[in-house]
Amino acid sequence: MDLIAQTLADGLVLGGIYALAAVGFSLIFGVLHVINLSHGILVLLGAYLALILSDALHIDPLLCIPPVMVALFCIGYVYQRLLIQRAVDRASVNSMLLTFGVALMLQNVMIWLFSPDMKNITPSYAFNSFKIGPVNFDAVRVSALIASLILLSVLAAFLRYSSMGRVIRATAQQTMAARLCGVNVRHVYALTFAVSAAFAGAAGIVIGIILPFSPNDEGTWTLNAFVVVVLGGVGSPAGALIGGLLLGLVSTLTAQYIGPAFPNVTMFLLLVLLLLVRPQGLLGNAFSASR
Amino acid sequence: MRRREVLTAGLGAVALAAPAIRRANAQALKPLVIGGSVPLTGAAAETGLNVNNGYVTAATYINEVLGGVEIAGEKYKIELKLFDDASDPARATTLLQRQIDEGTDFFLGSFGSNIVLPTAAITERAKKPMVQTGGGSDAIFTRGYKYVFGMYPRATRQFTSAAALFKTLQPTPQTYSVIYNNDAFSKTAAEGVKLSCDSQGFKRLDQFELPAKVTDVSSVLASVRAKTPDLLICVVHDQDSLLIARQMVATNTNVKLLFQGLGPQLGSYREALGKYSEAILCSTYWDENVKYKDKFFGDAKKFAEYYRSKYTRPIAYHVAGAAACIETYVMAMQAAKSLKPDAVRDALAAADFETFYARIKFSPEGDGDPIALGGMIGQVQKGKLETVFPLAAKSAEPIYPAPTWDKKGA
Repeated sequence: MDLIAQTLADGLVLGGIYALAAVGFSLIFGVLHVINLSHGILVLLGAYLALILSDALHIDPLLCIPPVMVALFCIGYVYQRLLIQRAVDRASVNSMLLTFGVALMLQNVMIWLFSPDMKNITPSYAFNSFKIGPVNFDAVRVSALIASLILLSVLAAFLRYSSMGRVIRATAQQTMAARLCGVNVRHVYALTFAVSAAFAGAAGIVIGIILPFSPNDEGTWTLNAFVVVVLGGVGSPAGALIGGLLLGLVSTLTAQYIGPAFPNVTMFLLLVLLLLVRPQGLLGNAFSASR
Repeated sequence: MRRREVLTAGLGAVALAAPAIRRANAQALKPLVIGGSVPLTGAAAETGLNVNNGYVTAATYINEVLGGVEIAGEKYKIELKLFDDASDPARATTLLQRQIDEGTDFFLGSFGSNIVLPTAAITERAKKPMVQTGGGSDAIFTRGYKYVFGMYPRATRQFTSAAALFKTLQPTPQTYSVIYNNDAFSKTAAEGVKLSCDSQGFKRLDQFELPAKVTDVSSVLASVRAKTPDLLICVVHDQDSLLIARQMVATNTNVKLLFQGLGPQLGSYREALGKYSEAILCSTYWDENVKYKDKFFGDAKKFAEYYRSKYTRPIAYHVAGAAACIETYVMAMQAAKSLKPDAVRDALAAADFETFYARIKFSPEGDGDPIALGGMIGQVQKGKLETVFPLAAKSAEPIYPAPTWDKKGA
């Protein structure tokens, strides 16, 4: 019984982190219809920036979330306006190829800048743990989960209640109508990409404090984001959260009861099943209502 | 007075110009081309860079400081043609096939058994020797290949010395569990762990196979806590070793001794774990304090000094192993008095050379002789990696049982 509780708790903690790592990917897919294959690079960029900032300023890495999000927001905006929009204007598949190419290039730039060595962000509580009943909690993973849930809630509130969030949703639902109402769609696309990049950067910090990372890991986080979005549904923080939690639970339950070598097998089996049975994901496309 | 000044100035100019003259001579020498690929990007890049730096250090030293090498009465400069295989076996095989087609006769190995194995198959078919320091899987050395030589014993023989060390510990450990990745090297290394530990009489409690890419080991550690072994042996990659150790600390999963084949040898690992890295064991194949004499560098310390004059990256045993590959090639060519691949292959098979790295001797199947090139066991003590086994190379006594994580953190 204790083992089941421990496994479920570990799965939920891991799932919350997967959710944050995927939400930016989900938003870009939902609003811009772009599969951003450079998502993992943005995640890693956040991790490296936090490593540099926390080392230089001797502050808790989670305190680096605001400046890193601002930096990634700016990078995301420029990246979308200068590169991705141009590719989208020609043919939508171009954006996928472009982001793939950018990911390959930036991975090598990161190796050049930061070396291929594994890095690690180590907050002061990196090795602490606490117990609730029989269940052991890793303090750093729990703090990562709390940061994830707060950020996902902030994003959900931003999309639901802010005027910019309404504009993003309107553009995603009816691009033409939004354009007729005077919305600068290109600007909204760039803003959406920038917000997504900012959240990818924040996810990078959260991941960096729980896992060693190196430039080679970018593919893992893009792939995980893709699976989470297919499971949970496109475009909404709630979809990412459901997909992430499901992925986390499936991973830990499989590792515990089938074997630690098998989480990927069950993860992709679930992905295939869901694509067959409910291709829009569990919560569906958040922006499809009026399409 | 004036004549003396002129003479002094002249001698000074000659002295200053000597390396340049040597370089100019080296440029005029015949090229001795050695090809290959190394992973400078991708999953194996961290150690791949160490291997690359080792190759380059030895070749640069031989060309620039020694002014080339003499083989069968002719002087040669070593010309390395190494390409980035991006840790991708398919890319590595394409790169090597192209080099064979272009006429390269001698090859250095990449890093990682998954790359060395298919590339060795290509060089074998072409009957071109490959000397490598990156592939230890048994599969490389049990297929009857005649042209591939490795600087380590095959994976199943690598754990012999660690198991022998465990047997000397007091109170003698009784049980062990093993964690490994689902890849060619880790799986055969885990077989080696089981063979060696079982033959020493340790009881196996569990074995855990992790996927190639790991993000969480909490479920494995829950099982380890439920059934706690005296020895937890991890034959996983550097990054996974760090993840396991971190999660062990955070979940207070204590064992009497944690052995991680790869990881603790890296400064970045020890820095990330800080005081929690104390008493963790790992395999190591070289230490700069070893006493071997070397025909080229003099000894291990001088090699390390030269390396540090060229690179700021910390030295690791893969650097030394890679440099020894170049030295081995040169000595084999000198012994063969030929640059014909078959003659050099025969000289490599008969090698018994002393280098700053170790005594180079291969088994009939081409992997490192288990005694001459067998591993040493290192243990992190006060942030430094000390050699604790074998007795001849020991720089510190092993700490056993290791303090619990709470005590290490206090």
